[in-house]
Amino acid sequence: MSKTTLMPMQPRVTQYGIAPENLKMRAVDLAGMTSILVKELFPGIPDPVYPGNEVSVIREHATAAISKVDLSKIKPGDSVNILGSHHGFTLLGGEPYAEVLRTVRDIIAERTGTQDIRLRVGVGLRFRESEEYIKRFELDKYFDGKAEGIAPVDRPIVIETEIGALYGLKKAYDAKWIIHTHNSDVREVHFHRQVDRILKPFGMSYARIETRSTYHHNLGPRGANFIARAIFDSPLVQEKFIAAVILQVSPSGIIGIDADNDIYRQNERITVESLNHYGRLVRLLNKIDKCIAVIDCPGPIPYTFAGGLIFANFLSANVDPFDLDLPLTPYCFFAEMAYNRQGQPRFPGVPPINPSMKAVINNYSFKGYPSSFFAEQTPTIVVGNEMAKLFESCPQNPEYMKHAVVSKDLESAVKFAQKIGDTDQIIVFDGAEGGINVSESLRELMTSKANEVSEEVKQDLMPKWLRQRNVSNRA
Amino acid sequence: MKIITTLAVVDPDKCSGCKTCYAICPVLAIRMENRKAVIDEGHCFGCNNCEQRCPEYAITMVSRSEPRVVEIHVNRFHPDAILDLCISAKFHPEQVVCFCTGTRAGEIAAAIMDGAKTPEEVSLKTGARTGCKVLCIAPILRLLYAAGITPQKPDGIQWCGNTPTLWDISAETMAKYASHGFCFDLDKNFLEANLAYELGKGENCKCQKRP
Ligand code: SF4
Ligand code: SF4
Repeated sequence: MSKTTLMPMQPRVTQYGIAPENLKMRAVDLAGMTSILVKELFPGIPDPVYPGNEVSVIREHATAAISKVDLSKIKPGDSVNILGSHHGFTLLGGEPYAEVLRTVRDIIAERTGTQDIRLRVGVGLRFRESEEYIKRFELDKYFDGKAEGIAPVDRPIVIETEIGALYGLKKAYDAKWIIHTHNSDVREVHFHRQVDRILKPFGMSYARIETRSTYHHNLGPRGANFIARAIFDSPLVQEKFIAAVILQVSPSGIIGIDADNDIYRQNERITVESLNHYGRLVRLLNKIDKCIAVIDCPGPIPYTFAGGLIFANFLSANVDPFDLDLPLTPYCFFAEMAYNRQGQPRFPGVPPINPSMKAVINNYSFKGYPSSFFAEQTPTIVVGNEMAKLFESCPQNPEYMKHAVVSKDLESAVKFAQKIGDTDQIIVFDGAEGGINVSESLRELMTSKANEVSEEVKQDLMPKWLRQRNVSNRA
Repeated sequence: MKIITTLAVVDPDKCSGCKTCYAICPVLAIRMENRKAVIDEGHCFGCNNCEQRCPEYAITMVSRSEPRVVEIHVNRFHPDAILDLCISAKFHPEQVVCFCTGTRAGEIAAAIMDGAKTPEEVSLKTGARTGCKVLCIAPILRLLYAAGITPQKPDGIQWCGNTPTLWDISAETMAKYASHGFCFDLDKNFLEANLAYELGKGENCKCQKRP
């Protein structure tokens, strides 16, 4: 690793990935790699409180934020479910989110006198992922054995909403009260479009298969975001909801904790903050004319990180995903369903997967997310037989390897990708903190475009984005 | 199309008989015998659902000696009938509904025309819902209901019920939230325009003539 590169996120032992010892080389160790800090690109993005400090800083911020929250409804002996998602643990190694959960638990116990405090952590499409995090951060002990991962196929509860019956996970709602504990990074903007982003887990992490499937099929690419609001506003949730505690994230790291009894007020604040901070970096990805993307991070392909963004953000960077006038982002399930058997869009208006991405190298990632579409749409090179076998064994990826080639090692994969792509610009999704590992040439390009992007966001895009969401800049 | 490469195997010594696996298998391949789970090998679609939820970690996935392919051939059925059913459920026949297996709405319609009366029977005929097990239940239920079938629930929690679509949301609700960025009207126009694109019947039905 050169002095100018950033430490990538370490591989971890999981049933969804190859054994860490089988990861032979990290992209950051390729010749000619350097990095670019988010702060160098956008000095206006606030300094993170973490990394840069001990994790105890998270407790301090959480304690201060929750001190303003009314917990008076909770009485001694009442049951309280702290609801979380696997997403939080994927940030900066997971410890900040784990500390938020511990702090929320301690404050509830201290301020209300109740001891019946449970942790319920939802998952995406890898049903034991949260269970793995609970063990790793010893949250089962911290919660006196009352910490559980909950999956979308688990026991249901009917939730009557303004638009009809939807289905939640019984275990999420089996306490008298609930506290929603989430993270604010922009993440799945291709799905949520920064509309009610803070509410999303009510329609996803805490929801059954029927509700999640409804989100991805029944309400349209923008309208789908109403699902979470419909559930949140339901009598069932309203009767139980106490507050939301949000780990505030910017592309440079954790910037604080936001806690509130009023989730809509909080959502507006975070919408402004996210559009402002992440909007710039997302738009900067748009300025990359051609490059090779290397996936090298402990996470499923679309959820691998670079500079606080995820790979899915790059898949859709050829459009402005925040612009609600645009019906589809290039990657979302409403887009994927629009392709014919030849891999072509069936109708006009389906934006292609980011064409500046000339090749993708999958050096290290997890199975357990339908990813065949990505390999079908972009030349894909998988490094090593272990990774190839991992994807071949995944019921969610029966065709992924059909569209990919296998390379013996990372260096040969890069050489091959450079021939296909005719570019030496490389971006690495390796979960490095506070910046992005890139090739020298890409560093130059990104640095040269940052000011222009900042101006574009400030002058033109922010006013439009806020207007489209009926959110004021003073939120 | 589903290519089944793995198979679930129960360790009876670890099985506590809790029935979790039995209650969630999307193709009903698990039965309980003497308070132990028993998996029908020939029937298992290798979806990992039971293995991922067994509280005792009693189930492991093993490779099948021979992969098994499950698919339904749409051209066994009259294209107009497939089209009518898809359109009545507001799907384009070529629209992908299961992202793991690449199953399209027309294939689900074909399975229904082939006699499938429940999501489980649809899965058995198409392989849909045996990848992630999450994303495609709503379209399967929509197509079954559109065919006039009220599917009978299995003795488990494989699915709960049909859920709303954009076309079920009242004008009043849409108007109430119009300014919040949900873009209901725009999405409805977009989906309907795309539904209509290239569609026609009989001679004009381009979508059904594709390979
Ligand atoms: S889920 Fe596991 S413990 Fe429960 S019946 Fe099935 S195999 Fe046995
Ligand atoms: S749940 Fe899936 S893996 Fe388990 S027996 Fe049923 S089909 Fe096989």
